[in-house]
Amino acid sequence: MAIAHTDVAGMDRPAGRLDIGSALREYTGPWNVRLAAHLLRRAGFGGTPADIERAASHSMNGAVDALVHFPSTDALPQPPQLFDPRAMLRDMLFAGQISLKPDDTQKREIGKQIRQGERRSLIDLQRWWLNRMIQTPAPLQEKLTLYFHGHFTTAAIQKGVTPQMLLNQNRLFRTNALGNLRELTWQVSIDPGMMLYLDNARSDAAHPNENYARELMELFTLGVDQYAEKDVRESARAWTGWIVARRTGKSQFVASRHDNGSKTFLGETGNWSGRDVVDIIYKQPASAAFWATSLLNFFLYNDPEPELVSAVASLLRKNDYNLAPVMSTLLRSTIFYSPRAYRALVKSPVEFVTGTYKALGLTQLDERAQRALVQMGQILFYPPNVAGWPGGANWLTSQTMIARQNFLAGLVNSPEMEQGGWMQDVPMKAAQASSDLIATILQDDASATARAQLASYLNGSGTSALGMLSAENYQERVRGAAYLTMAMPAYQLA
Amino acid sequence: MHRKQFLLGSLGGIVMVANTQHVFARALADTPLPGLPGAADRCLVVVNLQGGNDGLNCIVPHGDAQYYQLRPSIAVPRGDVLGIDNHIGFNPAMRSMKALYDKGMLAVVQGVGYPDPDHSHFRSTEIWQTAVPAKYEHTGWLGRYLDEAALPKDNLFNGVAIAQVLPEALVAERTDVPAIAQVNGYGLLSDRQSDSRSAYRKLVGDDRLPFDSPYLAHVAQIEDHAQKGSEELPKLIAGYKPAGAYPATPLGRSLSLAAQIIASKAGTRVLYVQHGSFDTHINQKATQDRLLGELADAMKAFYDDLEAHGNDKRVLTMTFSEFGRRIAENASRGTDHGEASPLFLAGGGVKGGVYGAYPDLGDTNQGNLRFGTDFRSVYATVLERWLGRPSEGILQGKFPTIAAV
Repeated sequence: MAIAHTDVAGMDRPAGRLDIGSALREYTGPWNVRLAAHLLRRAGFGGTPADIERAASHSMNGAVDALVHFPSTDALPQPPQLFDPRAMLRDMLFAGQISLKPDDTQKREIGKQIRQGERRSLIDLQRWWLNRMIQTPAPLQEKLTLYFHGHFTTAAIQKGVTPQMLLNQNRLFRTNALGNLRELTWQVSIDPGMMLYLDNARSDAAHPNENYARELMELFTLGVDQYAEKDVRESARAWTGWIVARRTGKSQFVASRHDNGSKTFLGETGNWSGRDVVDIIYKQPASAAFWATSLLNFFLYNDPEPELVSAVASLLRKNDYNLAPVMSTLLRSTIFYSPRAYRALVKSPVEFVTGTYKALGLTQLDERAQRALVQMGQILFYPPNVAGWPGGANWLTSQTMIARQNFLAGLVNSPEMEQGGWMQDVPMKAAQASSDLIATILQDDASATARAQLASYLNGSGTSALGMLSAENYQERVRGAAYLTMAMPAYQLA
Repeated sequence: MHRKQFLLGSLGGIVMVANTQHVFARALADTPLPGLPGAADRCLVVVNLQGGNDGLNCIVPHGDAQYYQLRPSIAVPRGDVLGIDNHIGFNPAMRSMKALYDKGMLAVVQGVGYPDPDHSHFRSTEIWQTAVPAKYEHTGWLGRYLDEAALPKDNLFNGVAIAQVLPEALVAERTDVPAIAQVNGYGLLSDRQSDSRSAYRKLVGDDRLPFDSPYLAHVAQIEDHAQKGSEELPKLIAGYKPAGAYPATPLGRSLSLAAQIIASKAGTRVLYVQHGSFDTHINQKATQDRLLGELADAMKAFYDDLEAHGNDKRVLTMTFSEFGRRIAENASRGTDHGEASPLFLAGGGVKGGVYGAYPDLGDTNQGNLRFGTDFRSVYATVLERWLGRPSEGILQGKFPTIAAV
């Protein structure tokens, strides 16, 4: 089996040598707060100090069990009410703002109202999801939902993709979070949002559109160089017949639009349907290697070695592409807790923002955080293109860094900070306060020098004698010190 | 650290020896032309006309009867066109740019596009920004130039985007390009307190960490840049006196800031500004005329300002838009997404005139103008003949250059 090793720009592999013999074997070393926090960052959105303590008080296996067995999430807030263009039209008609046969001016007004309504809905939907990431008792489920959103990308407010379709797609990812990749690929293929975004809804036997057929293989399942142009054309023919019904927004198969001829796809000949295409793709060893690379890049470290990709690919095939046993093995593995994987990823903006709320013990995020995410370069339901967010070093420029640091500065100085509760517990001795902040926020990932510098800041060095940590300026100094702790390089790394 | 060696970084010498055309282009750019500065002092300003500028109502084919048939309500009347010749001319809103043209400082490149055009704003913008239509490339063509050009490593302003978010064209693998919307919004809030500022500086330089990470050095460097860059920029441009009548528009403000950065000692080679939106599906005339007028007035003010500071010959300005628009107007007195359109090159180094064949309104691609000049030829021209770098690696292919520069 030839695995095409693609070395992607800005995706850096850790230094040192991989011991492939022990990599996927269960980790048996010491278990502590640092590794518990590492697990929560990777398999979730970080943790509150209490979450981290709890995970550390379990065994490693106990902590992983608590993540891979999703508890009920019924108590979480329901999604927001989304914009309904039909209800809007009814209201406009009733109010006499439009007639049954609208003229050009009225049509323009309708279009404008729809765009505004969808935009508002999208912002509400983003906030609901971000809050869910912070509040969920099943963080791994939400983390995988985010992973799939970046993998099977669909973007809103273009090509007729509505916020409601994205919510439905988001539920699809959540339902299949530790499910079967083949089944999920099939469900995504006939998901209305995806069908509109990548044009399968506009394809028929006479004019097959190749957009989805290509991306399905290139970006979702196999990778470049694993198929020929002819496979794209044949797959496009097999996908014909699927449409998104205008009235219901649901996907639907219309036999008269389907190309019933024989197709030869990846070497197999028959009257294939879209479902057959998915099944044939998953027979290719390259699909296991592709998913292994993608999962390792997201959960372990970037640019994983071919040997490691190969080992995880075998695991995927052995488990018939069921993700639950594969993720369970990965999260318990020796390589996962090795120094090579520790802080080896750059936090995505979403991880950075949600993780900060959790670290500070805050549970409710607002539009300010959403605006900051735009500046940091990650807008949920609005990936830059079908390839998703590039990740790694690509997240970091001086402008996105200013956005990250200013978000932190804004948050620590906001009134909400008092809700977290822990600020009152920071001791009023500078050296102790500095140690506590570095332990709580960075799990001690700072040097002794940095610790001393933070203490010296808390003591008011560089200001007048009044700057010294005192009952009067305690809150302000602690806020400043919390910011500086999070401004340290370790905090950018997951 | 495991990072791809940039092809031209490692093979630069060989590429140069193997390709005499590049050697020539490089020599041409390195040697100051009469009255022009050498490549090391030259600067490129890119103006993105966002949303798809309608080329036909910008450079108007007033000699073509088909134009008037296909656009009964929005065609620019023949008598209003600022004629270049008896076939084409400028939209009357572009009087200030016509003046640059008359001074020989402006080139019009007609019918620019690319094969198999995409009609999505998002994808087509990305194609122009990455200059790689065939795949999803995440670095931009200007980002790859900045990586490849071996510019001073410690300079934080080799490239600058005047924008909220870094445009994809400037996304680089190894060059940190700041996106600066306005000078007073670009900076760390925490720097407002001196003790916080000095603590930040010390803490981001923490190099005795109890863990290793492939990204640690990168993170520390970017955190440092975020502080240094925002401290240095206001100092670099302090005391500048603009000498152009900039319109009070976002583009006017952007180009005014660009002129300040160019005049400073920042050593900036590439600047990027944005203007729009040109997405004129309905009632096109009012919107497009206003935007073209703003573009022309801002460009004129920009070059007046540059000239007053002795920088006009150092600066080449290039416009681009993700696509042109449909030839026939739609039912809402607007136009839908199309294909080829003209772009402009302006500045002291430009050989003014009209380049590229005017697209045939009769021989269309399903109602869209066919392109005659690949946009990557314009990029190759800018890279080789202005910035003095071989373009083949940056553009991932070989494209003929145009004599406009």
